[in-house]
Amino acid sequence: MPKIKKKGQAGAAKNYITRTQAVKKLQLSLPDFRKLCIWKGIYPREPRNKKKVSKSATASTTFYYTKDIQYLLHEPLLQKFRDQKVLEKKISRALGRGDVSDAARFERHAARPEATGKPRYTLNHIIRERYPTFNDALRDLDDCLSMLFLFANLPSTSAVPAKMIARCERLCLEFQHYLIVSHSLRKSFLSIKGIYYQANIQGEDILWLVPYKFNQRIVGDVDFRIMGTFVEFYMTLLGFVNYRLYSSIGLKYPPKFDQLKDENGAELGAFSLEGVNMATQGETKAVTSGEEQQQGPDPKVQAEVDKIIKQLKEDESKNDETAEEDAEADDEEKPTDAIDKFEPVAPGGDVLPQPAYSSNDPSQLFANFTFYLSRETPRQPLEFILRAFGCKRIGWDSVLGEGAFTNDESDPSITHHIIDRPVVQAVASEEGDGEDNQTAQKVGPNQRYPGRIYVQPQWVWDCVNDEELKSPELYAPGAALPPHLSPFVKAAPGQYDPTLPLEAQQTEAEAIEAELEDAEKDGAEEGSDVENDMDVDDAEDDEDEEEGDEEEEEEAEDEEMEEDEEESKTLQRQLELEAELQGKKVQNKKVDSKTKAKLEQRKALEKKAKEEAEDLERAKGMLSKKKRKLFEQMQYTNNKKSAQDEKLRAKRRKLEKEKAQKA
Amino acid sequence: MPVLKPLSGDGEAPKQFKQPSRKGKKAWRKNVDVTEVEQGLDELNAQIIKGGVIAEKKSEELFAIDVKPDTELTKKLPKQLRKPLKADEILAQRSAVPAVSLKKRPAPETSGKVTDGVLPSKRLRATYVTQKELSRLKRVADGHHTTTVEVVDATFDAWADPAEEKKKKQVEETFNFLPKAEKPKAPKTLTQQPISLAATGKQLPAVPKPKGDKSYNPAFTDYSERYQEELRKAEEAEKKRLEELEKERLKQEAAARSRAEAEAAEKRAELSEWEDDSAWEGAESDAEGLAKKKRPERKTQAQRNKIKRRKAEEQRLKHEAAIKKKEAEAARVKQIAKELAEKERQLALQKAENPEEDDASMEEDDEVELRRRQLGKFKLPEKDLELVLPDELQDSLRLLKPEGNLLKDRYRNMLLRGKVEARRHIPFKKQAKTKVTEKWTFKDFTLD
Repeated sequence: MPKIKKKGQAGAAKNYITRTQAVKKLQLSLPDFRKLCIWKGIYPREPRNKKKVSKSATASTTFYYTKDIQYLLHEPLLQKFRDQKVLEKKISRALGRGDVSDAARFERHAARPEATGKPRYTLNHIIRERYPTFNDALRDLDDCLSMLFLFANLPSTSAVPAKMIARCERLCLEFQHYLIVSHSLRKSFLSIKGIYYQANIQGEDILWLVPYKFNQRIVGDVDFRIMGTFVEFYMTLLGFVNYRLYSSIGLKYPPKFDQLKDENGAELGAFSLEGVNMATQGETKAVTSGEEQQQGPDPKVQAEVDKIIKQLKEDESKNDETAEEDAEADDEEKPTDAIDKFEPVAPGGDVLPQPAYSSNDPSQLFANFTFYLSRETPRQPLEFILRAFGCKRIGWDSVLGEGAFTNDESDPSITHHIIDRPVVQAVASEEGDGEDNQTAQKVGPNQRYPGRIYVQPQWVWDCVNDEELKSPELYAPGAALPPHLSPFVKAAPGQYDPTLPLEAQQTEAEAIEAELEDAEKDGAEEGSDVENDMDVDDAEDDEDEEEGDEEEEEEAEDEEMEEDEEESKTLQRQLELEAELQGKKVQNKKVDSKTKAKLEQRKALEKKAKEEAEDLERAKGMLSKKKRKLFEQMQYTNNKKSAQDEKLRAKRRKLEKEKAQKA
Repeated sequence: MPVLKPLSGDGEAPKQFKQPSRKGKKAWRKNVDVTEVEQGLDELNAQIIKGGVIAEKKSEELFAIDVKPDTELTKKLPKQLRKPLKADEILAQRSAVPAVSLKKRPAPETSGKVTDGVLPSKRLRATYVTQKELSRLKRVADGHHTTTVEVVDATFDAWADPAEEKKKKQVEETFNFLPKAEKPKAPKTLTQQPISLAATGKQLPAVPKPKGDKSYNPAFTDYSERYQEELRKAEEAEKKRLEELEKERLKQEAAARSRAEAEAAEKRAELSEWEDDSAWEGAESDAEGLAKKKRPERKTQAQRNKIKRRKAEEQRLKHEAAIKKKEAEAARVKQIAKELAEKERQLALQKAENPEEDDASMEEDDEVELRRRQLGKFKLPEKDLELVLPDELQDSLRLLKPEGNLLKDRYRNMLLRGKVEARRHIPFKKQAKTKVTEKWTFKDFTLD
């Protein structure tokens, strides 16, 4: 007879443990247990069969792996939690006896660890445990950054102490400084929720969301104890990440923090970064540009360089070039047109990457501009993005806080002015062309300074996402802005993309078709006029259109398309017919050499397509039945999609043509 | 004097009522029991004889207050009780000088200094605890302490190369002959990903990549698509709500109708009881019918055989049906396999067609299909609708009205990724319900 197995002695019943059992085993209170689980990364689990796991009659709700909990028993933090529990007991006993002053004393001493010799705890050891490599930490940075940026923007309440908020803010600013120096910000997106940023750090794409200022309501259904626990952990994590990132580009961590400037709202400007090896010289230098050493240099070589620098300092003439590598810091910095060149001073010294006015380098997109942010624009995101893309000189209204390059709006060095206010009517009529805003001499309610470009904030985002300077006319104040598209959506090849010009996205066949059509319309203008009239209204405001209308249009277009095909296929005959209808002579000459060439081209293309199709058919024969079916279905949907895209493109072509005709 | 008695009754055996019959005019008066009245009158007479009615007398006449001590009584007590204890005597002694307080006091400012002997006018109470502080202490005692994590600036690289540390350790170990205590190994389960609440079971991104429709200044096609989608969703929800309301209404109507019918039937029954005499006959005949019902006769052998045959036949049919069903299912196996293959093919097709949509990073949190069984007792909270209405849609950043609540969003995302289980805010502790009752023993308590 086999050994009788008892229920609940093996298998799932042993592998899982209920939450109550776990709490009892660890001798903790439930909130403390929750905290510990969050910090150590122990998540609730689900057994396949709940009934087999729990012995109690009532259904337990949360289970953990027994091994996880067993491992938690070795956690050094556990002792700290127990100490806290002991303290709580002491206090409650004293309060129960009425010894209020004793209770206060216990609490005071616990809060003053240097007096009691019991230090408060840090989460340092957990960081390495949770994230064995730095890349693991970077991978989890999405959540961390979103949380910390969110908490940095919360109003302080009893649940969220001001200290925590200040700490979050500081860590976030430090991180932003790294992104600025290393030029690792890639994309940014203005959404209705907040501003998305994407950076690429050591090959990892990191995406986070920053709320708009002064918008966060505290709601009741969010558990702040849990959120606070996460934030405590993430604060420690970001601290270490920052340390690592700073030291990877040869900067000292933590950067110098100016309390006074911070109180005046300098934000990013309150920090001054120092190089690691400069500290040995005893002088601090603000370094915020990307012209830094990429790795920590060889100490010997560095010493040699230092010596030479000292020598150079004595004679005044040369010291600008080398010692003051970059005096940009914040506001003291002066705009210079020339770019400094950095040459290795000693043999074997680091070769610094040379700054260049190349338009290809997206990290230097705004390098040679001076910006001025007007009062109504969001300063923090704009400052961050502009700096991250190479801009050194940003001025703003003094209302927006300290740390500006200039507070004077009329500064002649300003090249770009970011503005987001409606245009007063009188002036609006003047600058109908869109170019006027740059040259307008008038200084009135809509003060315009000559020689600078006025743009709306979206220009900055669109420039950054497309990695090129967009035409500022489209973004002039008062102009209807082009849609702000998500940079995270990648258009599939052949898909209709409203941002690209037609030439860039249409297929060859389509282009030829269109040109043929043109030629044909030149021949018979009467017909084209009639056709055009049908779709004039869709040039108007798109948003007012109803769905039904659109469908109708599409149908109409379908017909047209078919018509077009027929026409072009038998162009000759068609022409004859039309001529007949109009009571004219057959105009064979109209089919000039150009059209002929096109026709031939098309023929060739069709032939090619046919051949390709045949090849495909042959190749399909080689496939297994299953794969062939899959392939066919794929082709079918692809064709459907591409037909849709083609329709959209045709529509746009028509609109553009109309515009050209009107102009 | 209180006396315990049985729970009810007067403790005597049950008996007949004593009052004799009062049939007939004579017997009526003669037989009235007047013993109580007579007793009372007798008592009154006795009181008058003894010196007047007690109820009419003043209390001074009835009682006297004894103010003289009974000297004899103390003599009767034993000697050791008459004298107070020595200990009590000692304790009763009081010094003219007040006792030194045992309270701790702060030392004089410069200890050893000779004061002028004049006490400071106001003594500072160093140990005074304000009411606010006290309430905070109470909260701390309840476990609501503020954070104890010390967040300091990072001063070392947490991911520094561990090789150097190892070397150091090895050097140490060569001179150490005691085996080092081994560190506990982390179990494999610790590295397992949390259970995501997505139906697909895939890990969800912490920050989903936003699509074009979430833009503050969206492209028309993106926005209209999203808007229509939301519209459709809202319509569906509304339809569902209305349907439920209708269902509820129908249910209530049906309940009301049946209630009314029942009432009407009751009324009719009452009426018939009082007015329709004819109903009696029917009832009687019914009762008779019941009474007359024949007792089942003994089954004959033929009958038994018949029943046996029927049962066997039934059994056979049942068995055949089961076999048939089994065969049909076996035949369907192929079909099921085909269906599964088809499903798989569809999935593969989707994957091949748009490999980018395959990764969940483009899916918004509210678009994720949730798994049926969620973690914990509570449901995942609904996500806020993040949509700018068409009339609020502005193409200026200044005029943008941000939508959604990021705090909620983050919290929901945590839950969605299974990092924690959903909780509900409980504003106050559940109080134990109490119900006041009287003990039943009060019935046993009488005053005699």
